[in-house]
Amino acid sequence: MTAYAELQVTTNYSFLRGASHADELVIAAKALELAAIGVADRNTLAGVVRAHVAAKEVGLKLLVGARLVPQDGPEVLCYPRDRVAYGRLCRLLTLGKRRAAKAECRFTLAEAADHGAGQVFIVLPPERPDGAFRTALAALGRRLPGACYLAAQCLYRGDDARRLVELAALAEACRTPLVATNDVRMHEAGRKALLDLVTCIREHCTIDQAGYRLGANAERHLKGPEEMAWLFRSMPDAVARSLEIARRCTFSLDELRYEYPEETTGQGRSPQEELERLTWLGARVRYPGAIPERVAKSLRRELALIEQLGYAPYFLTVEDIVRFARSRGILCQGRGSAANSAVCYCLGITSVDPAHMDLLFERFVSAERNEPPDIDVDFEHERREEVIQYIYGKYGRDRAGLAATVICYRGRSAIRETGKAMGLSADTVAALAGTLWGWSREAPSDAEVRERGLDPADRRLRQTLELTCQLVGFPRHLSQHVGGFVMTRGPLSELVPIENAAMAERTVVEWDKDDLDALGILKVDVLGLGMLTCLRKGFALLKAHCGLAIDLAGVPPDDPEVYDMLCRADSIGVFQVESRAQMTMLPRLKPREFYDLVIEVAIVRPGPIQGDMVHPYLRRRNGQEPETYPSRELRRVLEKTKGVPLFQEQAMQIAIVAAGFTPSEADRLRRAMATFRRTGTIHSFRRKFVDGMVARGYDQDFAERCFRQIEGFGEYGFPESHAASFALLVYVSAWLKCHHPAVFAAALLNSQPMGFYAPAQIVRDAREHGVEVRPPDVNRSDWDCTLEPAVSGGLALRLGLRQVKGLAAADAEHLVERRANGYPDPIVLWRRAGVTSRALEVLARADAYRSMGLDRREALWAVKGLPADPLPLFAAAGEEERGPEPAVALPAMAPGEQVVEDYRSLRLSLKAHPLAFLRAGLTREGTAPAETLARMRDGARLKVAGLVLVRQRPGSAKGVIFVTLEDETGVANAVVWPDVFERYRGVVLRASLLAIEGRLQREETVIHVVAERMVDLTDRLHELAAPAADHPARSFEAAQARADEVKRPGPDPAPPSRRPNQPRRHPRNVDPMPKSRDFH
Amino acid sequence: MLAAVDRAAAAAGLGPGMPLADGRAQVPGLKTAALTPLEDARALARLAEWCGRYTPWTAVDPAGSDPGAGAGLLLDVTGCAHLFGGEAALAADLAARLTGLGFAARLALADTVGAAWGLARFGCDRSTPWRVVPRGAARAALAPLPPAALRLSAAGGELLARFGLNSVGALYDLPPATLEPRFGPELAQRLRQALGLTPEVLSPLAPVPPHVARRVFAEPVMTAAPLARGLEKLAGGLCRRLESEALGARRLELTVYRVDGSLRRLALGTSRPSRDPDHLARLFAPEDIDPGFGIEVMTLAASVTEPLSALQMVLNPEGGAGAQDLAGLVDRLGARFGLGRVFRQRPVESHLPERASGLASALDPAGPAAWRRGRPRPLRLFAHPEAIEAVALLPDHPPARFRWRRVRHEVVRAEGPERIVPEWWRDDPGQAEARDYFRVEDAAGRRYWLYRAGRRWFLHGLFA
Repeated sequence: MTAYAELQVTTNYSFLRGASHADELVIAAKALELAAIGVADRNTLAGVVRAHVAAKEVGLKLLVGARLVPQDGPEVLCYPRDRVAYGRLCRLLTLGKRRAAKAECRFTLAEAADHGAGQVFIVLPPERPDGAFRTALAALGRRLPGACYLAAQCLYRGDDARRLVELAALAEACRTPLVATNDVRMHEAGRKALLDLVTCIREHCTIDQAGYRLGANAERHLKGPEEMAWLFRSMPDAVARSLEIARRCTFSLDELRYEYPEETTGQGRSPQEELERLTWLGARVRYPGAIPERVAKSLRRELALIEQLGYAPYFLTVEDIVRFARSRGILCQGRGSAANSAVCYCLGITSVDPAHMDLLFERFVSAERNEPPDIDVDFEHERREEVIQYIYGKYGRDRAGLAATVICYRGRSAIRETGKAMGLSADTVAALAGTLWGWSREAPSDAEVRERGLDPADRRLRQTLELTCQLVGFPRHLSQHVGGFVMTRGPLSELVPIENAAMAERTVVEWDKDDLDALGILKVDVLGLGMLTCLRKGFALLKAHCGLAIDLAGVPPDDPEVYDMLCRADSIGVFQVESRAQMTMLPRLKPREFYDLVIEVAIVRPGPIQGDMVHPYLRRRNGQEPETYPSRELRRVLEKTKGVPLFQEQAMQIAIVAAGFTPSEADRLRRAMATFRRTGTIHSFRRKFVDGMVARGYDQDFAERCFRQIEGFGEYGFPESHAASFALLVYVSAWLKCHHPAVFAAALLNSQPMGFYAPAQIVRDAREHGVEVRPPDVNRSDWDCTLEPAVSGGLALRLGLRQVKGLAAADAEHLVERRANGYPDPIVLWRRAGVTSRALEVLARADAYRSMGLDRREALWAVKGLPADPLPLFAAAGEEERGPEPAVALPAMAPGEQVVEDYRSLRLSLKAHPLAFLRAGLTREGTAPAETLARMRDGARLKVAGLVLVRQRPGSAKGVIFVTLEDETGVANAVVWPDVFERYRGVVLRASLLAIEGRLQREETVIHVVAERMVDLTDRLHELAAPAADHPARSFEAAQARADEVKRPGPDPAPPSRRPNQPRRHPRNVDPMPKSRDFH
Repeated sequence: MLAAVDRAAAAAGLGPGMPLADGRAQVPGLKTAALTPLEDARALARLAEWCGRYTPWTAVDPAGSDPGAGAGLLLDVTGCAHLFGGEAALAADLAARLTGLGFAARLALADTVGAAWGLARFGCDRSTPWRVVPRGAARAALAPLPPAALRLSAAGGELLARFGLNSVGALYDLPPATLEPRFGPELAQRLRQALGLTPEVLSPLAPVPPHVARRVFAEPVMTAAPLARGLEKLAGGLCRRLESEALGARRLELTVYRVDGSLRRLALGTSRPSRDPDHLARLFAPEDIDPGFGIEVMTLAASVTEPLSALQMVLNPEGGAGAQDLAGLVDRLGARFGLGRVFRQRPVESHLPERASGLASALDPAGPAAWRRGRPRPLRLFAHPEAIEAVALLPDHPPARFRWRRVRHEVVRAEGPERIVPEWWRDDPGQAEARDYFRVEDAAGRRYWLYRAGRRWFLHGLFA
C-alpha cells in the first residue's frame, strides 16, 4: 500500500489561479486516501482556515502554508513546522504586504530565507531550470540544511522522464531532496474548463485568445497514492518524501490560542478584579438609590460565569472603547449575545436596562460551548472613524487590524466576467446578467434566455452559463470588513498576515469574520449607525431648546403615548420600524411594552417570514388561536414568543432540545446558516434536523417549517440579543418623535443620509404633526437645520443650508460666520461673505433670498449680474466702476414652476405638492386622492397617482414589487405581482410620477392597491415647469431617487447591487442624482 | 448609447443619449445600426457638394453636425434664387429633391445665417418643411421661437429658461447691457448675428488637397499603350509629391473620367508604404481599365499614406533587399490574383498541433512571428492523422511496434507521453478524447510522432 501527501495545492484563494474551493480539495483528498494535504496559496494564508475547518471535519491531516513568490527568485512552498515558525511566516507576508499596494506582496528570496527557521521549504523549479535557479536552490539548501526540498511534477508534458532525471541530478547536487507534487489547481479534472476560465479572467483575454496561457491538459488535479506512485515509478523516494515532510510539519491552526489584550487592567489588578470594580462602580451610577436585589443577583451570577470562562479581558476591552466614545460625546450602543447583560448595562456598553428585559445571560454565553462572547458596538455613523483611529492608536497597527470581508463572485459579477472571457458581446453579457439575481446558483431557464433574445441551444452560451454557476461563490478579492476589529496581546502579525486596505490609514487581516470565529479569535465590531448620530443631535437640541438633558438610558420608559403612536403606524423616521413592511406590521402587532418592540424588530425578517411564523404569532397574540406547545421542553424555549419561534437563538435551542443536536453541532449549524448561500453546506443538516425532530415525536410539517426558518436566518441572522438593543433605539426615537417632533425632524435631517425616507417625507411628516417648517434663507439658516421659536409658542424647524443641493459646506460656513446683523442685498452678501459666485447662484436657485424681498428669479438675476470673482486687491476698486443697472421686469414664475424648482434644488417644497397642480386633470381621469383609499371598501376598483417614493422587492416576497406613491393628500402602497411587473417593467422602474389602476385590498387597517395597469405620467411634471426647460422632471427623480435607495440601518442590509436595469438618462438631462438602488 | 432615432422610435419614447440596453428593454426588437461618424460626415459633405447645383457657396454647418441634433447644411443663395424661379421655388425644389433622396429635411431662407438656422430647426415642422422669410422680417419671425434657436449652448439655454425667458422675443425687451454679464458674450453675439447686426461669414466647402496626380489627355484615349504611359506619368508625379512629404502610399485610387461623363475608380493597397513609380504603375493593368467611349482625364490619388523616409542605398543587398523583393512579389501576385488570395503562414496559439498554425493575409504587418519553442514538433505534420495499428504494453507507455501503411516498424526509442486535451470551448465534433503523443524512433532511425486517443493509435507527423 503506497501512501502519499499532496503538498502543492492551490485553492481559489490564490485568486484566479485555483479552480476549487478549499473544502472541495480537502474532501477529494480524503476520498483519494491521501495521507495529508498541504494548502499553499500565493503569498497568502487567506484560505487556510476554510481548509482547516474542512480537514478537521473529515479527519485529514492538513499542512498550513503559503506559496511564496519572491520578486527575485524561484517560487517556494513554505510550511511552518511549529507555532513559532508559523508566526514567522505571517510576519514575512505582513512585511511584504504592508510595503506593497493592496493585494500585492513584495519580498525577496533572501528575506524569505531570513524567516526560514522552523519552516520546510519546497522549491518549485521553473519551466527550464537554469543556472540562476541552480544557484538560488543551492543557496537555499545551504541556508536551511535538511529543511529544503525540490519539487518535481509529472504533468504529461512529453519530457517528464527526462525532466525528472535532470531534477534529480539537480536535487542531488544542491542537497535538496526531490519531493513529488502535482501542482494541484483543482480537485478533479472536470474543473479544467473553470481553470481555463479563471486564467482568462486573470489575463484579461478571451478564451480564444488565451492560447498557451491555458494548460495543454487537465492533469493538475488531485491524484491518489497509486497514481502518483505510478507516475514517479522511477523515483519512489520522491513520493515517500512527501510523507516525511507531512510528518515533520506538526503545526495546526488549533494551536493559535487567542490571547486577550492586557492594557485595560491597571494598577496591578487582575482583569477579573478590574472588571468587578468597574461593574459595581457603574451599577451605583445606573441605580443611584440602591442597586435592586434582582440586578445585584444577576451581576454576581454573570461575573462568576465571566470569571469561570476567563472573559474579563474581553469585557474590559469593549468597555475601554465605549469609555473612549463616551469621553468624546460619541453616542454608542452595544448589541450581540453578551451585550444585553447586567454587566454590560453597568459598564455602559448597552443602555437596555436588564430590569426591563428578561434575557438570560447563560443562554448567550454558555459554559459548555466555549466560544468567545460576541459584542458589537454601534457608534454614530459620522464619528465612527474617531473610534477606529483610537483603537489603532491604542494597540498599534501591529496589534490591531480590521477583519477582512471576502468578496465573492455573485450572479452578476460572475456572468460579466465569464461572458467577457468567453468572448460574448457586451450586449449579450448585459442581457444574460439581466436574467440572474444575486447569489442564485441556478442558471437561467431556457425560456428566460430566449426571452432576452438569445439562443439557449448555442453551445458557447450554454458553456458560459454553466461556468458562471461554477464561478459563483469563488472569492474574488479581500476587502475590509465594515468594522470588525481584531486585537491581540502579542503582535497580530504573528497570528495572521496583515495587508493594507484600499482606504488609507487602514490595515486588514487576511481572515474574515467566519475564519476568526472558527478559530475563536476575539473580534469587536465597531459599526456605524445613523440613528445614533440622529439621537445625539436630538439630545443636543433638547438640551439647548428645552433644557432637557437626557441620554439613551434616561428616556422615560413605558410611555403609553409612544406606544399609541406606534400602534397607529405613525413611525416615519423611527428607527427600524419605519419601513413599509414594519409599518404594516405595527397596527397588527400593536406593541404595548418594550418586549413587544423586540419582537416587532425581529419579526419582519426573512427568517420568520420564510418559516411562516408571522401569522401564527399574530393569531396567538390576538387570542384567535390557543397558545400550544409541541412539547414541554419546547415550552421553555418558546414561551416568550407564544410558542412560535421568532429568534435565531430559539432556532438553535430547537435544534438542541428537539432535534437532538449537540451544542457544538448547533453551533456548526449556525455557522452554516451564515454562509449557506455561498457554500450550500446547510443542506447536509436538513435531514439530521428534520429526522431528529420527527424521531422525537414532532410534527413533520413543524420540523420542516423550523428548518426553513433557519435557512431564512441564514441570510440575515437576527437574534433576540440584537433585537433587544435595536428595540431600545426604536423606543427612544419614537419617544423623541412623539414628544418633540420638531427636534426629531431637525435631528433626522441633520444626520442625512440615513434611514428609509428622503428629506421631503421627513418634512412632510413633521408638518403633519403640527411643526412649522421654514425654508432655508441666507439670513436665517445655519448649515444644519435649526429650531426657532414658533408663532404658536412651540418650536419651528428652520431648514438648514445643507438641504441646498450643490452648496459647499465651507461656503455656507463663511456665509453664516460673517452674517452679523444680516445681509441687506446680494451685493453686500457677495462682498462680505466672500463666497463663490457659484454658491450665491446655488442659493438663488434654492429661493433662499426671500428675506431680502427677492424671489428666486429676481435673486438669480441679481446674483448673475455680479462680476466674476475679483482678485482680492481690486475687490473694492472694481465696485466703484459699476453703475446702477437698468431695472428689468422678468416674467413671473408660475406656482407649479416654483414647486418644481424647489424640488430641483431642495428635493422638497414647502409651497405645495406638485400633484396639487395636476389634480384637476387627474380627477377628470378618475384618479382618486390617496387619502380617500381609507374610505373605500375592500375589492373596490380604483386609480391612484403619485410620486414614486419607494420601489421595493423584498427577497422574501418571491418577485413581488412594492411601490409607495405619494400625492398631496397622503401615501398609497401598491403591490405589483410578478406577471404585472413583467408587463409594465419599464414603467415601474422608470416613472417618477406613476398612475396605478387596480383593486383595493384591505387587511385589518392595512390597505394596498393591487396593481393591474400602470401609466408613466412623468411627462406631466414637465408641463408644470417652464415650457422650454430642459426636462425639469429630472429633479423629481433626483428628489425621489432616495426612494430606491433605502438603507436599512443595522444588520438587515439590502443585498447590494441586485437590481434590475435602472434606465439612465442622457447625461445632459440628468441632474446629478444619487445612485439609485432598488432593494429586495 | 443611442445617437439618433427615427420618428417611430421617438414616438416609442426613445431619444438620443439613451443607453442601448435601455432602448432595447423598452422596445424589444429595436433595430439599430452602429454609428459611423466618419461616414456620416462624409455623406454630409457629399450632400453639401451636391447642393452645389444651387449655389457655389455651400458648407456643412459647423454648429449642426451632431447626428442626434440634426445635421445641417448652409447655402448662400444670394443672387442664385432667380435661376430657380425665386426663393420660394428654390426652397420647394430643394425640399422636394432632398425628400426624393430619402432625407427628412427642414429648410428656411432668411436674411442671416443665424435666423435661417433657427427657423429651419425651430420654425418648421412636418407640415411646413420649408419657410422663406422676406427681407427684414427675420426679427418678427424669430420672436416666438425658443432661445435655443439662437444656436446657444445647452447651458446658455438652460440659464435663460431659469429667468423665464422662453422665447427669443423676450430677449428683445431686455436692456442689452444686462445680458452680457449674465449670459456671457455668446448670447449677445448670437442675437446680433441672427438679427443681422453683426455680419457672419460663411466658409464654403473646400476640398483638402490630397496626394493626387492628374493627367488630362489631349484626345480621348481608348487603347492600352497611352493609358500605360499615362499611368507611368501619374505615378511619377504622385511619387515626387509623396517624396517631398516623406510619405509612401498604402492605398491607391485610380480614377478615369470618360467622355460620356461617367467615371470609374480602381482602388488597391500595397503591402508596405511605397513610392516607387515603377512599382506603383505596374500595380494597375491598363487592360483592366474599361475606356468606354474614351478617357479624357485620369487621376491617381494616394488615399492612404504612411511615413516613409528616404532610403539609404544598400551596400549589402543580402539583408534588406530580400524583404523588399518579397514585398514586391506579394504586391505583383496580389495585383494579379487579388491581395485577398495571397497568404503567409503565421503561428496560432493552440496546444493542438493542427491548429498551431494558420493563414494570414500577406499584407498583414505581422512582425517576426513568434513560433513556439520547447515542445518538439515534427517537420512534417499530416493534415489528417493516419490510423495505425499499435499496441502498448502498459498505460502511458509507447507502443513496442506499430504498422503504418502496411509496413511494420519496431520502436527502439521513445519519449512521452505528452497529453493534449481537446479545446473544450470550440464546437468541433469528433475531437472528444485526450491524446497522448509519443516521439518514437524505429529500428531504421526514422522518427515518428504518434498519438493514442482512447484505444486507437494515429501517426500525426514525421521528424526529419
